[in-house]
Amino acid sequence: MLIHMRDLHRVYELGAEKVHALAGVDLDIERNEYVAIMGPSGSGKSTLMNIIGCLDTPTRGSYVLKEQEIGTLSDDELARIRNQEIGFVFQTFNLLARADALHNVELPLVYAGIRHEERRRRAREALELVGLGDRMKHRPNELSGGQRQRVAIARALVNKPSIILADEPTGNLDTATGEDIMASFERIWQQGNTVILVTHEADIAKHAHRAVRMRDGRIESDVRTPITTAARP
Amino acid sequence: MNVRESVGIALQALRANKLRSTLTLLGVIIGVASVIAVVSLVQGLNQYVTNQLTASGSNVFSIDKYGIVFDNDTFRERGKRRDLSSEDAAAIARSGAHVEAAVAQLTAGATVRRRSRSLQRVTVRGVEPDYMLVNDLPIGHGRPIGEADERGRAAVCVLGAEVAEQMFQSLDPVGGEVRVGSLKMVVVGVGERKGSAFGASQDLYVLVPFSIFEQMYGRNRSVEINVRSRGQESFNQAQDEARAILRAKRHVRPGEPDDFEIVTPDMVLDLWKNLSGAIFIVIIGVSAISLVVGGIVIMNIMLVSVTERTREIGVRKALGARRRDIRTQFLIEAITLSAVGGLIGLALGGFIALVLGLLTPLPVYVSPEAVALGLVSSSLVGIFFGAYPAVRAARQDPIEALRYE
Repeated sequence: MLIHMRDLHRVYELGAEKVHALAGVDLDIERNEYVAIMGPSGSGKSTLMNIIGCLDTPTRGSYVLKEQEIGTLSDDELARIRNQEIGFVFQTFNLLARADALHNVELPLVYAGIRHEERRRRAREALELVGLGDRMKHRPNELSGGQRQRVAIARALVNKPSIILADEPTGNLDTATGEDIMASFERIWQQGNTVILVTHEADIAKHAHRAVRMRDGRIESDVRTPITTAARP
Repeated sequence: MNVRESVGIALQALRANKLRSTLTLLGVIIGVASVIAVVSLVQGLNQYVTNQLTASGSNVFSIDKYGIVFDNDTFRERGKRRDLSSEDAAAIARSGAHVEAAVAQLTAGATVRRRSRSLQRVTVRGVEPDYMLVNDLPIGHGRPIGEADERGRAAVCVLGAEVAEQMFQSLDPVGGEVRVGSLKMVVVGVGERKGSAFGASQDLYVLVPFSIFEQMYGRNRSVEINVRSRGQESFNQAQDEARAILRAKRHVRPGEPDDFEIVTPDMVLDLWKNLSGAIFIVIIGVSAISLVVGGIVIMNIMLVSVTERTREIGVRKALGARRRDIRTQFLIEAITLSAVGGLIGLALGGFIALVLGLLTPLPVYVSPEAVALGLVSSSLVGIFFGAYPAVRAARQDPIEALRYE
């Protein structure tokens, strides 16, 4: 079991008002699953994503990631988990504008404390994997939207995390490029990675093999779509 | 954290906006530049003064009625003391076992003339025969003033090198005649050139026999006595002897203070050091103010930078940066900023010091300590004023930072 959540609550206090963003979520995700978390805005899917990504901790309940209880960790321990276990892909790419593609991909390895030459080598590998071997020295503003998102994917993969966590990864891309990116996730999944996709678009979610629908801070439905044997690695 | 990356980011930001950077760093630049310039100047002067004072021989001291006086009351008080005379000098020379020589001298200013040439405000010294020995003032050409001159009240003189040059140009002054004040004198020697101190020539003097001086300016003057001890080791004993001899001769009772003052090169040096130390502290204070102002400007620019890069901070945190990583990054950026200011200030201060050294007679010495002081103080400014923005950056919540537009 990679992710094990039981009775997860997340309460925000907005002045005197308490908002139950998550109101008792039970969720298990196995290694090498490809899951889409769906739901309208306000459903709690962003909060769930932040907790899965260890950017936030639950108010109540248990979140165990790789046999480790996350709720009780300190800020620095959470940072280490994010660094080692989570590969983020954001809607707005979130690349450092002043750094070239190679350096952007290197960043997680910088915080992992890996030496310079090793970083370079692994960042290069990751960029070649997403087909950007010839764009390493380009800065984000010299790349197309699709290329930027592929740099971001390379960055998410470079430290070999347990989970690739993608938040509306095609939201800022045109349809064709979006399909391209989704194909990348499919490949990543086939290589044995766990992919969690957060989206409100059904078209995007259908690439996944399991759809978790959120509503009002709870899981409304959890549907597995049969995987064609051909797709299995 | 990656130091190189942080330094790189800071330098990049500096390059990207040169005007803003210059204004940002101005305080630090001015602070460090003034520290460097002043320290260089004071150290140069210190070295110079020390050299000058030890050049005339560190085993020479002088005695007179006044000593080193700063206020009018003391000056008036000491003026009432009994005059010192050439007999006092002779007594010290005769009875001091550790005294190699002691001479009396009197000083006045006069105009020196030769034919149509004249030189105003030349120092005229009435000196006893051992004067040049005591004060380690070698004769450059000709001979010094001797016993016979003194006894015979000969109208002879030794000229300082500068006076000789002005009066005689390329001619040989020895055997020539000059008019000192109203008295015609034969030149018997020329002192060795000493050069200038603080822009004033040290070769603008005329030495005349003590007796002639008294004839010119009258007898009722208190002399200055110069004493040379037999060696460096006996310097203190020579002082004690001179003091005892003078006290006995002037009937100063035991328990009463001296009615004369002994001045040693060390005392003058101490005086100078106190003075330059005071200048030093004032200027360092002023520089500190501009460093503080410079630091506040750097803090301001770093706070702006932290806000501008909130999203970057969020991304870095999402990728695994700990608080301390973010803190270090921004701190290094602040230090880089202020250190660049420090380097520019260093160059500017060094340049000012060198220009001062070239354009004025002031001696200048840019020491490694001054350079280190400049760099360390500017880096400290970076650490001190960069700390708060760095802590603020590190405290950002990753979710909110990622959402920041």
